[in-house]
Amino acid sequence: AGSRLLKGYRGGHVVIRFALGGCANRPFFRIVAAHSKRARDGKYLEQLGCLDPLPNAHGERVAGLNLERLRYWLGCGAQLSRPAEKLLGLAGFLPLHPMTVTGAERLAQRRRREQQAGTAPADGPGAAP
Amino acid sequence: MAALGARGCAAVPARLRALWGPHARRGLAQDVGEGKAAKAKPAFTDEAVQTLLYKMTGLDLHKVFRPVKKELKPPQYKLMTEAQLQEATRKAIEEAKTRLVMPPVLDEREPIDDVLAEDKFLEGTETTKYIFTDITYSTPHRERFIVVREPSGVLRKATWEERDRMIQIFFPKEGRRVIPPVLFKDEHLGNVFQQDRHEDLLNMCIAQFEPDSPDYIRVHHRTYDDIDKHGKYDLLRSTRHFGGMVWYLVNRKRTDGLLIDMLNRDLLDDATSLVELYHMLHPECQSAKEAKGGNLQGVELIKVFVKTESQREGYIQLALQAYEEAMATSTAS
Repeated sequence: AGSRLLKGYRGGHVVIRFALGGCANRPFFRIVAAHSKRARDGKYLEQLGCLDPLPNAHGERVAGLNLERLRYWLGCGAQLSRPAEKLLGLAGFLPLHPMTVTGAERLAQRRRREQQAGTAPADGPGAAP
Repeated sequence: MAALGARGCAAVPARLRALWGPHARRGLAQDVGEGKAAKAKPAFTDEAVQTLLYKMTGLDLHKVFRPVKKELKPPQYKLMTEAQLQEATRKAIEEAKTRLVMPPVLDEREPIDDVLAEDKFLEGTETTKYIFTDITYSTPHRERFIVVREPSGVLRKATWEERDRMIQIFFPKEGRRVIPPVLFKDEHLGNVFQQDRHEDLLNMCIAQFEPDSPDYIRVHHRTYDDIDKHGKYDLLRSTRHFGGMVWYLVNRKRTDGLLIDMLNRDLLDDATSLVELYHMLHPECQSAKEAKGGNLQGVELIKVFVKTESQREGYIQLALQAYEEAMATSTAS
């Protein structure tokens, strides 16, 4: 097998995405600028931050973002993965992702439907006799 | 007396400015605002005030270079001539001076509550908040962006406690913990005071908190109050906390205990410096006017001060008498 140190790809572009690390039942994401054809947790160009998805003792999910380097890679033409876009939207660095808004509205609709479904059968058996 | 107006950065001695960095500029920004009025109140950072406080701190080399608990190494012995010994002592005094630089005394910081965005429709999508920190290496910690996205959808700036925690997580400083130790709570400070470890407590407090945080100010004030209550002024003498303690006491006009302690230890120069500082800070009091009018020095100054300003007049008169007797016997013999 050839050396894996200097991989030459055909095509591909730089993406800023999450690389999963951590242990069993304990995820930890590193926000990373890498070639799109690389493995998810493989060699990256630069680490731009981290995200801990589990809440800490104070009930907060900690995320660090190296905004200066992020701006540099975006200026170099890097693309973002969808979760990365959503996270930066929540952070306020980018405008809110439309799917975040859509997801929130869908959730609200589903909750409203469940609430109505919950009251309607209660009315039905109650009103019938 | 030197002119007391706050003249911006020029008023701060160069060595203090180098060591305090951004805090010197911050503390002075407030002074310059006040100084525009006719009579500026002398600040902690004024050259005149700093010289007086520094004189009172004393320079006990044995205490400054007291052995700190480190790795156990066998002692090193050097053979020196008289000249080399003097040179070594001089260098030790220089280093002691750097160790005695006083930590800054600032006002309590204003709490931050600034909302950047409100997105009500995000309510209910998340259960816990997100806290985002900007980990760019070159930004100063005071200007770092740290924002919190609450589950209710509101994007706000982080509070000072959250800021300190996040900065300690991503840029750890030695001697500082992410969550402040339980030792700094009020109920546990009593134990520390009983063991006479005020100096260690204050050193830990400087390492843990920012100088303008309410916890730092609270711990320092409790320590100074306890020292004043029990008269343990000598614990802080020849350390870098002595200046801060004197500043606190003089601002609150509780100088009697300290004055008695100085007279009992025959430190007349320190006592006169204390009275001078008092007059600088409270120029409207009677003894200040008398002193300026009569141009008094030494024991006379203290006597005038005692007659008008102190609560425990009797004790101070006794201490003054004892001091004068001691002077008389020492000059006679």
